[in-house]
Amino acid sequence: MTALTATRFGAIGIVLSSAAMADGHVNEMSPDELLPLAQEEGTVTVYSFTSRIGRVETAFEEAYPGIDLQGFDISSTEQIARLRAEAQAGVTNADVIYISDTPVVLTELLETGIIAPYVPPRVADRVPEQYKDPLLAQRLSTKVLMYNEEANPDGAPVDSLWDLTREEWVGRVVMVDPLQRGDYLDLMTEIVLRSDEMAEAYEAEFGEAIDLDGAANAGEKFIIDLFANDVILVGSTDDVNVAVGAMGQDNPPVGFTSYSDRRDNEDEGWALQVANDVAPAPGIIFPAILALSAEPQNPAAARLVIDFLMGDETETGGPGLAPFYVAGDYVTRTDIPPHPDAVPLDDFTAWRIDPAETATIRAEIGDLILTLQ
Amino acid sequence: MADAAMTGHGRRVWFRQGTPLKIAVLAILIALIVLPLVRTVLFTLQPETIRAWSDVLTGRLSTNLFYKPLGNTLLIGAVVSTGCVLLGGFLAWLVVMTNVPFRRTIGVMATLPFMIPSFAAALAWGALFRNDRVGGQVGWLQGLGLDIPDWLAWGMVPTLIVLTLHYFSLAFTIIAAALATVNSDLVEAAQIAGAKGRRILMGIILPVTTPALVAAGSLCFAGAVSNFATPALLGLPVRMQTLSTRLFGMIEVGQVGRGYVIGILLVLISGAFLWAGNRIVSGRRSYTTITGKGGRAKRFDLRGARWPLFAVAMVVMLSSTVVPVIVLTASSLAPSSANLFSDWTLHYWIGQSDPSFAQGIPGIAYNEDIVRALTVTLGLGLAVAFTGMFVGLLASYTTARFREGWMSAAITQISFLPLLVPGIAFGAAYIAYLGAPIGPFPALYGTFALLVIAATAYLLPFSVQTGRAVIQQVGGELEESARITGAGFARRLAAITVPLAIRGLAAGGILIFVKIIRDLSLVVLLFTPTMPVLSVLAYRYASEGFGQFANAITVVILFLSIAATLIASRLQAKSQPWLQS
Repeated sequence: MTALTATRFGAIGIVLSSAAMADGHVNEMSPDELLPLAQEEGTVTVYSFTSRIGRVETAFEEAYPGIDLQGFDISSTEQIARLRAEAQAGVTNADVIYISDTPVVLTELLETGIIAPYVPPRVADRVPEQYKDPLLAQRLSTKVLMYNEEANPDGAPVDSLWDLTREEWVGRVVMVDPLQRGDYLDLMTEIVLRSDEMAEAYEAEFGEAIDLDGAANAGEKFIIDLFANDVILVGSTDDVNVAVGAMGQDNPPVGFTSYSDRRDNEDEGWALQVANDVAPAPGIIFPAILALSAEPQNPAAARLVIDFLMGDETETGGPGLAPFYVAGDYVTRTDIPPHPDAVPLDDFTAWRIDPAETATIRAEIGDLILTLQ
Repeated sequence: MADAAMTGHGRRVWFRQGTPLKIAVLAILIALIVLPLVRTVLFTLQPETIRAWSDVLTGRLSTNLFYKPLGNTLLIGAVVSTGCVLLGGFLAWLVVMTNVPFRRTIGVMATLPFMIPSFAAALAWGALFRNDRVGGQVGWLQGLGLDIPDWLAWGMVPTLIVLTLHYFSLAFTIIAAALATVNSDLVEAAQIAGAKGRRILMGIILPVTTPALVAAGSLCFAGAVSNFATPALLGLPVRMQTLSTRLFGMIEVGQVGRGYVIGILLVLISGAFLWAGNRIVSGRRSYTTITGKGGRAKRFDLRGARWPLFAVAMVVMLSSTVVPVIVLTASSLAPSSANLFSDWTLHYWIGQSDPSFAQGIPGIAYNEDIVRALTVTLGLGLAVAFTGMFVGLLASYTTARFREGWMSAAITQISFLPLLVPGIAFGAAYIAYLGAPIGPFPALYGTFALLVIAATAYLLPFSVQTGRAVIQQVGGELEESARITGAGFARRLAAITVPLAIRGLAAGGILIFVKIIRDLSLVVLLFTPTMPVLSVLAYRYASEGFGQFANAITVVILFLSIAATLIASRLQAKSQPWLQS
């Protein structure tokens, strides 16, 4: 009986506190207003699809002493599975969700009410509409074909994606298993969605119209041929980076990875470079999303983290944005100048994905890839 | 016994001695073991998930989703169990029946590999044999300039070798125990009749130990088919899938229905083989090997083969225990696994975060995640040691003191059920079971309680067995006399059974502790970032290319396991009768 009463009081307490939050316009608060509330909360948990969260953690705790940021590096695919399981269990572990895989995020997390949008008012007027609705995009990330610059000083060793299905590239194309990482499944899906362009590129490469040979379209034909050519599937983008980028290789493979991983060339001894000129496109550009969990345990600190990750008022966004202000990542804030070392976004030939469109056939492409493995 | 006297009074049957206890124990076991499995099956039968059955079994995906992994799984089971029986049997024969030098050392070392987590051996294999197929660091041998072919670096062959070197010690333990009971009269009679060594082996020893060989084979089979870590670390990079890695993959990407179906099929396969093994053994129950009298036979004289056979045994021992430990330790110190023994640094152990080194991951002593995981893991080990021994003692006490009735039979059967369930499938079942609220009870997903409950249930066969051995040491008459003087059940347990059995209980508890802190397959699905355990962190570091951190964590687990095992074996020195000469 007492336990029941306690639960009831607890429930009332939760209702009251979220009501208070709504009344206090926590969504409209500036960082200065959030800070004392956040310090009272004392801690905040972030699920992040990038390992760079480690550096964010250090920078955040330096900027806002007294708030312990717990960052977890979890792939987007796994985040989605975990967030769904946690929602089903009625537990909220994460306060902030930093994730890609937008096609699935929209249907499985946003529409189901597991996560909620939040745009920090401080930067709201400096982020284009398309990157605020339905969810805030912090930056655009990529999965594109990269090659080893050291071994290929005159530019990319391939000029078409179809080159990758040729004999000479057997066992020499590396990517992460699309069934383990959603970004790569999005890439495969985009190739199918762009079947017309793929068919054109085929004709340009081989001088004859494509023979689908039972495949549903040119995109699926490419995927089938790529797997038949012994594409190497690895567990993480870093494995791709090392395989493709490591210096001192005679005949390095090429691989699909993040353009921005070129930032680590110097530290890690890599020679990664993007193959921007391959036909029809080197890969995909997709948003990296920042969102709140629907009922964060630390609502003020969670908002403060998102505010921090959108960068401060210095020219390149300060310590919160520093890990992401690198060549190959395209920050969505309009007042931050593009990174000088990267191909400008307008010249970058990678496909921009349309998350809603991708979501329609994504599961089907996943099953196709399952049959090829 | 008292209850026999009361059976006649039909009206009082319900209050027969022990009935309330039996009901309580049965209820606990059903809640811990039966319900999770039932819930998993029910989950796959819902309208929206029932399609998963046809996807897995008949659809166009079924080849890759089920049949190919099934083929790999069965191949692993067959080869590993054969290899283990041969290797374990050979060593057991050396230790128990021959005059090979350093018998005791071999006997102790042969039990160690099973205490080393199988992912440790897989990681060590990678540190030695990795080639450049999937990028990342190459192993030591490749670093020396040897060209390691794909088949030796990845996939089936290394998986088979690593698993055989892991499970053979299970076979050894079982076969050695059986050999130790072979009645010397039989052997001596044969010797007097002029039979030669080979004849004695084929004609007496082998037939007499057949039940042990079958039992060892089927346990190794069940272990190998359900092993997750080794095929995941060595097979996935070349797309070699087994049922357990498929199950894991499906659940990780949120295709839960398909995952559960694969899990159920895996349980059925592993269960079928254990059941078949049991049938073969129980059909030939006529072997009485322990009789009233009979001393130890003269040891078989190996003569000139003594040292060569000793060398063979040592090669097996060293490659299954010493080499992995050395390799893991070295590679937790070496920045490049291609140069295992140079440029050593303590960064992976005690380094501070440095952005230009390993992506800024600090050494494990300063890594919050790892420190938290260590706390959780140790807490889990201790908690499960207590709960496991408690439930195990309760169940074995109940079945030992009140043997009659279908309820006792049910308790025995159910408590051994988890043996048939691979850890990863058991983890999946527990997510289905406690991942969502049940009535007034909150969901336990991501809580410490879930880990403890699932681990307790998973290790019940083991704790019940330990409990039974302990109970049997304590004579029933002591308890009987306490009962006559009016002591209640709790009083009898606290004042007589537990104090007398405390050494055995402690040893059993420690072994449970070891089993759970080195387990990966059960916890890999129950893991959540906010409730981390060491083994899963090691696995994740390894699969993300941070081998040194994975190896450093594994060395910590190894150290804990071996230390605890040694303590336990001191406590129960009697459990290895074949070592007493």
